[in-house]
Formats: sequence, structure tokens, C-alpha cells
Amino acid sequence: MSEVVIETRNLTKEFARDEFRIAALKHASIQINKGDFVALMGPSGSGKSTLLHLIAAMDRPSNGDIRVLGEDLRSLSDGAIARWRNAHVGFIFQSFNLLPVLTALENVELPLKLTRMAKSERTAHATKALQLVGLGERLTHTPRQLSGGQEQRVAIARAIVTDPDLILADEPTGNLDAASARDVLEMLVTLNKEFGKTIVMVTHDPHSAKSASSVRYLEKGELLPPGAKPVDWDA
Amino acid sequence: MIRYLPLVVKNAIRNRRRTALTLVSVATSLCLLGTLMALYRSFFYSETPEYQAHRLIVRNKVSLANPLRLSYLPLIRKVAGVQEATIYQFFAGSYKDDTPSESFARFAVESERLFRIFPEFRLSEEEKYAFLHERTAAIVGIKTARSLNMKLGDRVTLRGDIFPVNVDLIIRGIFQAGTADDESMYFHYDYLNESLRAGERDTVGAFIVRMDGPESANAVIKGIDDQFRNAPLQTKTETEKAFQLSFLAMLGNVKAFLLSICAAVTFTILLVTGNTMAMAVRERTREVGVLKTLGFTPGIILGLLVGEALVLSLTGGLLGMGLAALACAVLRSGPSFGADLSQLAVAPSVIAIGLGISLMIGFISSLIPAFTASRRPILESLRVNN
Repeated sequence: MSEVVIETRNLTKEFARDEFRIAALKHASIQINKGDFVALMGPSGSGKSTLLHLIAAMDRPSNGDIRVLGEDLRSLSDGAIARWRNAHVGFIFQSFNLLPVLTALENVELPLKLTRMAKSERTAHATKALQLVGLGERLTHTPRQLSGGQEQRVAIARAIVTDPDLILADEPTGNLDAASARDVLEMLVTLNKEFGKTIVMVTHDPHSAKSASSVRYLEKGELLPPGAKPVDWDA
Repeated sequence: MIRYLPLVVKNAIRNRRRTALTLVSVATSLCLLGTLMALYRSFFYSETPEYQAHRLIVRNKVSLANPLRLSYLPLIRKVAGVQEATIYQFFAGSYKDDTPSESFARFAVESERLFRIFPEFRLSEEEKYAFLHERTAAIVGIKTARSLNMKLGDRVTLRGDIFPVNVDLIIRGIFQAGTADDESMYFHYDYLNESLRAGERDTVGAFIVRMDGPESANAVIKGIDDQFRNAPLQTKTETEKAFQLSFLAMLGNVKAFLLSICAAVTFTILLVTGNTMAMAVRERTREVGVLKTLGFTPGIILGLLVGEALVLSLTGGLLGMGLAALACAVLRSGPSFGADLSQLAVAPSVIAIGLGISLMIGFISSLIPAFTASRRPILESLRVNN
């Protein structure tokens, strides 16, 4: 039996807007096993990013239970969550979010600064991660000297440099041209297939979702059962 | 925290124009602050130099404008602890057009005793001899001699104002003391006294005393003042430094004045730096969210942002202290306008206070924006579009 990496039960997230409370995610229960590559799809406002953020512990749920990598995220303090995220989660943003003042190497090295690694070890790891994404020749380039596809590859290197168990990607191909998007998806597949990383990816794009081993749909804050799609979902 | 230093420095200089302007404003303010603190220290807390520590000034208890009698001098010399005493008569008057650049202190003294009381005066034996043996001779400090182009043998006329006589003098010596006296001129009291009408003679503005040691000061002061306690003209004896400070006090409460300017400068630079840091933090809100996503704790982020402000303010402070040292050097070599600035310098204690204030400015100015940014939820930070 596969090891459960992510398990949520009746996970709910509500936001307060003036006197109203808006439910972005309603009673979502999902189980993702080690080595799964799951795509979360759905229309805008369906709650897919909210679910991803809750899995990454970037936000706290209003109700329900969530265990990721055996950790009850609701019981952890902010500091403990930050340390847990650094050790176990790699996050890839749609808009890359590299620090503009740092080179590719320094950007990738950032998460390692939170570890006890020596400088030489950090540099070696970051260099290796960049070589893995095909940017071994661009170590000293700053983000503005890179194309969008290259920036996203640096972001992937940054996400994997700590060798996390879980990679979470929020629309990783959303800002890329078709060729760059294909490269990024190939990398994610490689990380999943060859390195056994568990990946959860939010995407709008059905072609991107095809890279995943399974797809789960959300609609109006509700996680639909496996195999079910939103009404009028023509993708 | 050292491992984050490159990141802190890179962030501190990411907006070069703003960083440069901030550094200039901090450095300028700290230069002013450092110079004012050096002045304050020089006036009120500097160590009394050896040569000055041996000297006392005796003047009329009522005010400096009221003279004493010449007949007091032998009695002062008899007080225990007094090694030497002489007349110290400020002449005032005017020289040439009496412009500020032509202004210098002039004193009538007993020439033969002058060098025993002021052993720091250095001039050649020939010049000293010429001064001592010529009734109209004068010696002038090297700074004044240079600025007014006075040479040995030059004739100088001082027009009297307090004293209704003009004195015609010949420069016979140019001395170097390394103190504010380098801007002074000394000539014979006898010449001045004899130039006066009979009823105006034999009065003295002040006497200057050399004691056997600084430790005798209290006893000698008491001894002299007690000597004239029941005399018609009572005396006030004080150290040379206190005497100089009494001139400064004529300008008003100089201490409060200097301190209030220091406080105003500190407060202003706090506002400027605070505004800069608020802007710097605000424009990086999204990056703070990214760092948190990577696992940076609120504490580390707070440290990074405050550290950035400290790097800026400390660099500005170091520049400012360097500029203050230059300013002190310029003030030391320029005209003293009566205040003894010979010891004016940015002392290590002033540097420490200046850098401490710089760090405090950096810390206070960044604390609130940095704290707010470090505590902002990740998603809220990531939603901000910088």
C-alpha cells in the first residue's frame, strides 16, 4: 500500500469580506500518495489555488483536518511551519518570483541558507540543481538577463535544491510560451518519474494537466469526486 | 546572521539613487552631529592640557568689565601655592580697518614673567631678548602673523577703545604655542600704563597665576579670594578653562543650544531614514512573501530588513564621522574667534556615540515597517504587485 503524503478531511477555507464570509474551499477531502503527480483543475475562483496554499501551509484552514507528510499542519506555529516548508516542500510560482538582485545561483542557494550547510556545500548543491534544469552555463545571470522559460527553470531548481518530498506548482506554465511550457512540464515529469517526487500542480491548461498521472477538478469551492468534471467544462 | 550579509548588502544597494541620497543625508547629518558633539566635548569635557592646568585667572568678582588694582599683584604672589603671577590686561582696541579677518586678541603683560607662566610659547632666544628689552616691542602668535602677513620689525598701531590711547608697537617675535594663543599678541603693560593719564593708571583687568600644581587649584583659589574678601574690590579666581567657558556663556546657554541642535538633527534624520525604509520595505512586500514561502521565518525576515537599514545607517554614520573629522581639522586650523579649539577633534567617544546614534536611527526607522512586513500573511504579501 502506498504511503499517504497528503490527506485532507472536510477542509474548509472562508474569507471575511466586510460583514460577509465567503467560502473559497468547502469540505474538501483528498488523499494523495507518495509519487503521485496530481493536477488540480477548475475555473477561476473554484478554490484550486486555495487548496494548494493550504497544502503548502501558506494559509491556515478555517475548518477541517490536513496532514501533509505525517504532520498536522494546524498544530504548528508560524516558525515551525516555515522550517517544515523549507525542509519538505518546493514551491513553483506562476510568475517565477526570483529575487531580482540575486544571480541564478544565489536565487537557488536561498533555501539552503536556512540549513546548516557550509557555503561551499550550498554552492555545490545549487550549481547541481541548475545543471539539472539545463542552466549550468547561466549561474551568474540575474533574472532580467534570462528569458521567461529560463527564469521558471531557475525557480524549479530553487524548488528542488533542498531535495523536498513534495513539489507544489501554481500554474507553472501560465506565463510561458508553448516551447518553454513543454520544457517545464517535461522537467516536472522527470522529477516525478525519475526522482519519485510527489507533485501537485494547479493548472488551467488541459495540455499541462495531461502530464499529471491524475486530475482532480474543483468547482465553486468544492472538490469534485475522482473522474467528475465541472458542468460545462469543455476542456 | 553573517550568511545573510550578502543578501542584506545587495538589497541595501538595489536602488542606487535612493541609497546614495539616503547615505548623503545620513552622512551630512552625522557630520553636523559629530562636529557639534566634538565642539561640545572640546568645550565642556576635554581634558585640561598640562600647561593650562597650572594656570588660574583672577578677576573682579563683579564682572570682567570692572578692573582690579595693580597693588593686588604682590599680595597674590604671596599666596601659598602661587609660583608666579602677572598682569593679564586685555587691550581690545582695533587694528587697521578692524574687519573680522583683522581681529585678534591683544594683551598687555609683564613681559619678563610671561614666559614663566606660558612655558608653551616657543620663539627664538634672539626674539625673546628683543621683546624683553624694548619698551614698544610686541610678540604675535604665528596664526595671526601668517594671516595678517606680519613680519619681524613691522610696526603695528592698535587704536584704543577701552583705553583712550593708541599703542604703536614693533613686532619683535613670532611665537608658536599650539593653542588659541597662536592668534594673540602680547606687549608691555608698562608701556600701556605709562601712556595713560594719571587717574587711569595702575588698574588691571585680570591677573594670571601659575600654581605649583593642578592639585593646588582649590587651595590657591580659596587663598587668593580669601585674601581680598574684605577688600573694596573682591576677586573671583577660576581656572583658565573656566575663565574661557565664561566667555562662551556670554553667548547664552551654549550647552542647551548645542544639545537641542543635536536632538533636532537626530530627529530629522530619523524621519528621513524612516521614510526611506518604509518605501524600501513596501516595494519588496512580494519578495518577503516569496522568502516566507521558501521557509524564511518572520524572525529572519525581520532581521534581514532591520539589518539592511543598519548597513545603510552605519555606512552613512561612518562617512559622517569621517567628514566631521575633516570639519574639525578645518575648524582647528581656522580662526578660533576667542574659543580654544586647539583640542577640537572627533574623539573615539564621539565616534562611538555617533555610530551608536546611526545604528539607533537605522533600528528605529526600520523596526515598524520590518515588523509589519515580517508578520504579514504570505498570501497577502504575494498578492501585492511590486
